[in-house]
Order: sequence, then C-alpha cells, then structure tokens
Amino acid sequence: MVEIKGLKKRYGERTVLDLDELSFSDGETVALAGANGSGKTTLLRILAGLIEKSEGTAKAPGSVLYLPQQSYAFRGDLVRNITITGAGKQTAVELLEKLGLSHLSGKKAKSLSGGELQRLSLCRVLAKKSELLLLDEPTSACDANGAALVIRAIRDYRDSCGCTVVMSTHSPMLAVNAADRLVVLENGKVEANGTPEDILSNPGIQWAKTFTAGWKI
Amino acid sequence: MESFRQAFELLFPPDRELLQIIGVTMRMSFVSTLVSCLIGLPLGALIGSKNFRGKSFLKKLIHTLMGLPPVVAGLIVYSLFTHYGPFGRLDMLFTVEIMSVAQVLLITPVVTGLSSSFIETSSKPVIETARGLGFSGFRTARLCINEGRASLLSVVLNAFGRSIAEVGAVSIVGGNIQWKTRVMTTAIMLETNKGKFSFALALGIILLMIAFAVNALASFIVRENADG
Ligand SMILES: Nc1ncnc2c1ncn2[C@@H]1O[C@H](COP(=O)(O)OP(=O)(O)OP(=O)(O)O)[C@@H](O)[C@H]1O
Ligand SMILES: [Mg+2]
Repeated sequence: MVEIKGLKKRYGERTVLDLDELSFSDGETVALAGANGSGKTTLLRILAGLIEKSEGTAKAPGSVLYLPQQSYAFRGDLVRNITITGAGKQTAVELLEKLGLSHLSGKKAKSLSGGELQRLSLCRVLAKKSELLLLDEPTSACDANGAALVIRAIRDYRDSCGCTVVMSTHSPMLAVNAADRLVVLENGKVEANGTPEDILSNPGIQWAKTFTAGWKI
Repeated sequence: MESFRQAFELLFPPDRELLQIIGVTMRMSFVSTLVSCLIGLPLGALIGSKNFRGKSFLKKLIHTLMGLPPVVAGLIVYSLFTHYGPFGRLDMLFTVEIMSVAQVLLITPVVTGLSSSFIETSSKPVIETARGLGFSGFRTARLCINEGRASLLSVVLNAFGRSIAEVGAVSIVGGNIQWKTRVMTTAIMLETNKGKFSFALALGIILLMIAFAVNALASFIVRENADG
C-alpha cells in the first residue's frame, strides 16, 4: 500500500511535484503518464527513497525496488549482471530466457544495444523480491516484441509476489496491456486518474489526445 | 644518441649509485602516493557523493591547491620543519620522510579533486542503479570502485607520476644529499647545472623507463582482476 498526502517537491523556487492525495493498493499495477518534465521520475525517486521530499507524506512499504530511467550495465557478462543482486545462476538464466536474451548471456553487458540493455536491467530488478516495484519507463527503448516480453515479465512477477507495481511510461500500449490504473501527471499535479481505456478515450485530456488518429504534427 | 649509450652503460651492469638513487626515488614516490590516496580517495568520494553547504567553495579551494607550485609547497614544509619551526624538534629536514611529506601536500589535492569529479560524473548511474536494487551504502561504494577502477587507477598513476617527476619541493626539503636524499630529478638538475647535458639526459631516459614500467605493471594488475 502506498499513500501519498500533500506531497511536494521543490527545486529552488519551482515546485515540480504537488500531489494532494494519491494511493496505490496492494497488488495493483499503476501506470504513470504525462509530458516530459511532468514529475514522473521525481515521484518514483521519492517513493524509492533516493531523493528527499520537500513537504507532505509518502508512505511506502519497506522493501522497494526501483529501475532507473537510465539503464546501466555493470562490468562482466549478462549472467553476472543479474547474480550481482544475490540471485542464483539458475534464476538469472530463467530471467534472460523470459526476456529474450538467452542467446547473449555470455556477452559483456556493456556491449548490448539500448533495448537489450533495458531488458537486462529489468531482469536485474526482477531477480529480487519486493513489496513495491517502481519502474521508470521500462519499455522506452524496446521494439514491439521487446515491449511485449517486458509486459509479460512484469505481470508474472506481480502475480507471483502480489506486490504493487508503479511504472512511468509514454506508451499507451504499456498502459493498456499492463496496468489496472492510469495516472496522468501534468506539471506535477494529477490531471487524470482512472482505467487506461477510459483515459485514452477521453478527448478532454491533453495527453490522451496525442494518441488519437486526428492528432497531426 | 650519446645519451642512450650512457643510459645503457649506467644500467648494464647497474651503477651502484644509480641504484641507490632509484631506490630513494621509488620509496619517496610510493610512500607519498600511498598516503595521498589514503587521504584523498575517501575525501574525494565524500565530496563527490554528498551535497553540503560550502561544497562549491571547497571544490574551488581544492582546484587551487591542485595547482600549488611545488617550490611553494617545499617552502611551507621547510618553514614548518626548520630548526626554529613548530615541528623543528622532530629533526626531519633533509630526510626521505620529509620529502614524502612535501609530496603528500602536493599530491593529496590532486587525488581529492580528480576522484571527486570522477565520483560526481561517472558514478551517478552506478549509485542510482545500486540503490534502486536496495544495496547498502557500503556495497554501493564498493561497486563504484569496482566499476570505475580504470579511472581510479589513472588518478593513482597521475599522483605517482607527479611525485616521481617533481623536483622543486624535494630539493628544498631534501637538499639533494648524495647517498641520502638524492632522487632522479634532483640528480638530473645537478648534472644539468654541471653542464653534463647528455649524462643528465641519460638519467632522464632511465626515469621515463621506470615511469613506463610502473604504469604497465599497474594496468596489468588491474586488467588481471578484470573478470568483471
Ligand atoms: N536536480 C534537479 N534540479 C532541478 N530541477 C530538477 C531536478 N531534477 C528534476 N528537475 C525538474 O523537475 C521536473 C520533473 O522532472 P522529472 O524527471 O520528474 O520528469 P519526468 O516526468 O520523469 O520527465 P521525462 O518524461 O522526460 O522522463 C523537470 O522539469 C526537471 O527539470
Ligand atoms: Mg522521467
């Protein structure tokens, strides 16, 4: 259970996050959407305990995992990049299989492509157990097939541990297929909060508008 | 060419005095590098990873000290340890130890400055990833060192290089005493002043060879443990 009340984050004069009330229940998968700079990463990092909030409360469970927006490859091969978490070799091999990386398992992680590395980073967090899984744009570098593998892996992880999952995304595909609920942020505030289907079909929401057929540049 | 021949003659068979000078040089450089790293690396890590008031002032100070002229460092140490100075009682002037002290004063800011900017830039993603996985602060620090060991090695080698090549401070506090505090650089100065340019150059060639050997050895050690 995550409970947010009057949460604010300021950088100097500027308030980048300002949430009155927001909560995520146990076992729920929530997608966070919103324009660049709307505060998605900031919220995730506060929940992960990586940055301090300026005001308010953000109650989160004790065991939290957070996948940064920027993927990082540790030295060594793919298997070591997963076993570094304390997971066994068997677990690592299974996770690599699940995310379609088996054929690369002996390669150096630093040599992976952007989308491959992103999936490896996901393997790394999924190798550990937690009550709250925070993912910052977990499919941003993936192709459609890669994204499908990611979505299935996240679903399986949630089903096996019953944890809460909060993930930010710019992809309606991810929101619709993986999330029970979609929260749209705008300038650090909640613009919309509901099922992905409802929000995406609501033309009053700026973020949703960009995904309709009529939206042209 | 003459210098290369002389360098060769000094080395095969090795000249007794040359060996002694190399010994003093290595002792001084190793000790001062070690001490500077013991102080500078943790300090650099601390400054690089924490945000606190006065941080930018501290960084400016360190960057200024990185450019401290060696003769000034030598003079400071000299005046502290001279007979009437605050540490005069220790009677350390004109020893290899005091030369190392002067070197530490010179190199520690370099180690601190370089390692703090290294932590600040390249360790950010490591810290973010490791803490996201719930690793402890200690574990995260160890990971940063392991991930950045090539850069950290170059910090250490940079320090060692400065120490072995430095002449101003060590000649002031060491005095360039034969069989005691003479090091490669002060020997080169002396031979240059005597007008024996090609012999001085021969010593310079040997100094470069030593520096190269130390660099090669250090990168070999790091590479050897690079199982990932
Ligand atoms: N350390 C910082 N100092 C000052 N401003 C910051 C800092 N970190 C973030 N911000 C600002 O906070 C705002 C929200 O940033 P955040 O990273 O949460 O956006 P985001 O929703 O994740 O965007 P994106 O979709 O681009 O990842 C941005 O406008 C950013 O400029
Ligand atoms: Mg972001």
